[in-house]
Amino acid sequence: VRGWRSAAAFIALSAAAPALAHEDSSVSGGFAAGLLHPLAGADHLLAMVAVGLWGAYLGRPLIYVLPIVFPTVMAVGGILGMAALGALPVELGIAASVLLLGALVAASKSLPVWAACLIVGLFGLFHGFAHGQELPVSADPVGYSAGFMLSTGSLHLAGIALGLLTGLSGPLRNVPRVLGGVIAVAGIWFLYRAATG
Amino acid sequence: LNGSFLLAALLCAALGLTLSHLPSRAVVATCAALLVSALGAAALWQSDLLPKDAVRIACSVSIAVTAAAVHVPRGVSRWAALALGANAGLCLGALTAETGSALILLALPLVLLAFPGAWIARRGYGIGLKVACAWLIAIGLMTGALPLLTTPGYQKAHME
Repeated sequence: VRGWRSAAAFIALSAAAPALAHEDSSVSGGFAAGLLHPLAGADHLLAMVAVGLWGAYLGRPLIYVLPIVFPTVMAVGGILGMAALGALPVELGIAASVLLLGALVAASKSLPVWAACLIVGLFGLFHGFAHGQELPVSADPVGYSAGFMLSTGSLHLAGIALGLLTGLSGPLRNVPRVLGGVIAVAGIWFLYRAATG
Repeated sequence: LNGSFLLAALLCAALGLTLSHLPSRAVVATCAALLVSALGAAALWQSDLLPKDAVRIACSVSIAVTAAAVHVPRGVSRWAALALGANAGLCLGALTAETGSALILLALPLVLLAFPGAWIARRGYGIGLKVACAWLIAIGLMTGALPLLTTPGYQKAHME
């Protein structure tokens, strides 16, 4: 019962978070601002953790390939966002990433390496595009980028650490799948918000 | 200076991680190439001849290329490492000349990350170095593009 209560509390918190996602857009653009930015948006945060969780479930080589693919493609997306090239449906893409990645973790779904990289890379493009558009125009963009990547990578590592719980015995081994389910539910909420504008 | 120093620090860190897979003698030789080219370029180049954006783009591309070298199967060769070291030195020298501050050269010791990196790689956790270098590649790509693009900057975040 306690587990369900915790899960319900987490869902409630996740559902409440989007209203506050990246609320402070007036922060100065330095290392600290970049470091905090991914943590300030529940959608980005949950997707990053889900990438780590899924990678940990999939094992080698994806446990380290996904955290390499995601930031690299995200940087390309960031450049496209900065250049304002194209008009990606960013909100829908990010919400879909939270939903699908959470669902893949919850279902313990295995995919071929290329397919997993394609999915994670595609979603990385959306996340990068969004954050490229939000990148500070002045201040310290190098510091901002460095802080942003460090924070994103740390979220991947946190997801991997949580995902490694599947290797344990007992009820703890189900924690990653439960987390995946919670992330998927949050993804449904994000998708609803994105679709209703 | 903050952004310039960070570029220098990231470049030295990328070089250090790339050198993790090389024997100590090659690391020392590369460090020597780095030091000589950095000090030489800083002493010889004049700030008014160096376009700020070009220096930053060169440093960013160098970060991405140097970090990408970690992903070369079986690691980079000694000669390639020497070239990367000399290139990193030239970038640091250019940054020093462009900013007019020798504080940039304080980033040089970060190349010594090669030694803890080698320790990590020997224990079978070399993949951690590759993940860290993926972050550096991404930073290099983004910061390299910044001078070429007019960023929208401080637009409302996507979920606002």
